[in-house]
Amino acid sequence: MNEQDDKKLNRRQLLARAGKAGISIAVAGAISKLLYDAVGPRGGVEDTERVTLPDFSVQPRPGQVISIVNGSDRIKTVDKAIELLGGIERFVKPGETVAIKPNVAFASPAMLGATVNPELVAEVVRLCYSRGGAKKVIVTDNPINDPESCFALSGIGKAASAAGAEVVLPKAQFFKHTSLAGGKLIKDWPIFFEPFSKVDKLIGITPVKDHHRAGASMTMKNWYGLLGGRRNIFHQDINSIIAELAMLVKPTLVILDGTEVMMTNGPTGGSISDLRRANALIASTNCLAADSYGCSLLDMKVSDLPYLEKAEKAGAGTTDYESLKPIIATVS
Amino acid sequence: MSVPGRMKHLESVISVCLLAVLVLIGIGIFVKQSDYDVTRYGVPPSPGSGETSQQQDGAGQSAIGAGLAPAGFEELSKAKSYNSDNLYEKINGKAPLYTESGFKELFTQRFISTSDPNLWIEFYAYDMGGVKNAFSVYSVQKRAESQPYPSIQIAYKTSNALYFVHGRYYIELVGSAESDELFKAVTEIAGNIQANLAVDKDADMAEFAMFPRENQVADSIKFYLENAFGCEKLTNTFSARYKIGNETITAFLSKRADSKEAEAVSEGYLKFLIENGAKIKDTTNKTIAGRVVDFYGATEIVFAVGPFVAGIHEAQSQASAEKLAEELINKLKSINNE
Repeated sequence: MNEQDDKKLNRRQLLARAGKAGISIAVAGAISKLLYDAVGPRGGVEDTERVTLPDFSVQPRPGQVISIVNGSDRIKTVDKAIELLGGIERFVKPGETVAIKPNVAFASPAMLGATVNPELVAEVVRLCYSRGGAKKVIVTDNPINDPESCFALSGIGKAASAAGAEVVLPKAQFFKHTSLAGGKLIKDWPIFFEPFSKVDKLIGITPVKDHHRAGASMTMKNWYGLLGGRRNIFHQDINSIIAELAMLVKPTLVILDGTEVMMTNGPTGGSISDLRRANALIASTNCLAADSYGCSLLDMKVSDLPYLEKAEKAGAGTTDYESLKPIIATVS
Repeated sequence: MSVPGRMKHLESVISVCLLAVLVLIGIGIFVKQSDYDVTRYGVPPSPGSGETSQQQDGAGQSAIGAGLAPAGFEELSKAKSYNSDNLYEKINGKAPLYTESGFKELFTQRFISTSDPNLWIEFYAYDMGGVKNAFSVYSVQKRAESQPYPSIQIAYKTSNALYFVHGRYYIELVGSAESDELFKAVTEIAGNIQANLAVDKDADMAEFAMFPRENQVADSIKFYLENAFGCEKLTNTFSARYKIGNETITAFLSKRADSKEAEAVSEGYLKFLIENGAKIKDTTNKTIAGRVVDFYGATEIVFAVGPFVAGIHEAQSQASAEKLAEELINKLKSINNE
């Protein structure tokens, strides 16, 4: 192409250049269209890997929704509390597999009350086997701290194993993504799922604790342990996430231990002086009912814990536990 | 169609510039992609344990863990450190208490008795970035049933633990049991920390001496970085409890930038009380006239002296409240005149 050609562009050349430019734009657009991911990153999770936590609840029995047993001996109070709801036979059938989800959040000694009492866990394991005829009981949690240390230092691992349970520690492959229908926070979020996918029944056991962010940590907050990922982001909306957990998890039975209550500096505590003896243990088929009574052990009212009201509005049950006619007993 | 030479040159320059921009965008995308945070999309970096890669072994990063093990004890776990992003992995829901108070870093380690595996100690050193911040988290968590620990200026003990402020650090030494042997080891660690961990002296805690001494309850001073008594305007506020007769009264003070700011904060707190139902009470003390209110049966007083905002909180007796207020005013006036 000479200088003259440079200065003049004829129709053919113009069309050729326009055609090339058009083809370039079309190819770039097609490649972009091909590579565009409308959904965004999902951490490699395929649709087929999304799960729904099974419903572990049992048929409701009016008048046997919640029991409150006063006494200092956890073995006696938990035996009585379960008996008052119809016995463990109501909840565990022969040959079934049971998952127990205790609060093992911290690598902390049992006496500090930041984790559930090991002997209480062991007694529920024993009941599942001896009276319920369970084929297998697993004890599992996804703690805040290193799981192995949590189960070891809290004494829960040893006590559960001694009672015949299999202690299951979380592994990366145990987490699957789930969404709560109508939920605003639990949307395509990883949960600790695998151990619960293979069991027939689910029992939650947790102590009553003060909680710096939530106000109180009880049976509904115990399900926070099922959340994977950077679950701390939910602390920004702690009331909503606890209410959503109450909708997500439908346990067979929950046990709320108020024998010793962490009144201050929760959820970690650290000093025995953070604890106050309340000598109460609650068993219930409904988390919201248990927690609505449990808050009184922290000298709180239902209205002090917004997540209770949120859970009630969402349909998780009633905060008016009195209307459920709690069965109250004392053991010496 | 003709293209002049200078136009052709201009086209070339524009083309090169556009290509350069595209290359820069490409590099930017490449760099950003390699630094991609999946957690923003709810994807766990390490879904199994909840302990992310941000948690670090503290050994070698700080001298804090070195040389702390007491006699007869050995390491039960490696030293670990946590920053404000992953503090929740250690203390979960209590993390905001620290992160909202200037938290920088937490160092932890456990030591176990070589003779009794049931006896172990967990050591927590929270670097709060300053002594006031450290004192704030210390004082708001102080256990009601605590006992003094005179060996350290700002410290208390419970039956299984020792808590104290060491410069910018808030230290917790938590034992696994109530045991004399364990507590002896706890005190040894505390001594090692004081000896080995260099910090600035507590020059910022001059407010301790600004409260009247008479009737002051020992170790009752607290420090609120924010929202003292529920009022947003009342920041950086110290409080002290007084036992007068059968009554416990709280006095408070906060040093501001100057007297103008002190006056504004004092007015703001008074307005806050009145907006929430307080009523001005009559008083014979002209110094605090118009500054004494009844707040649902309790007497509250707020005033400014020089750069200080100060007052009385939740007193049952107006007379006792006014007497303590007067002592506080006199004390602050004498400091202000020095």
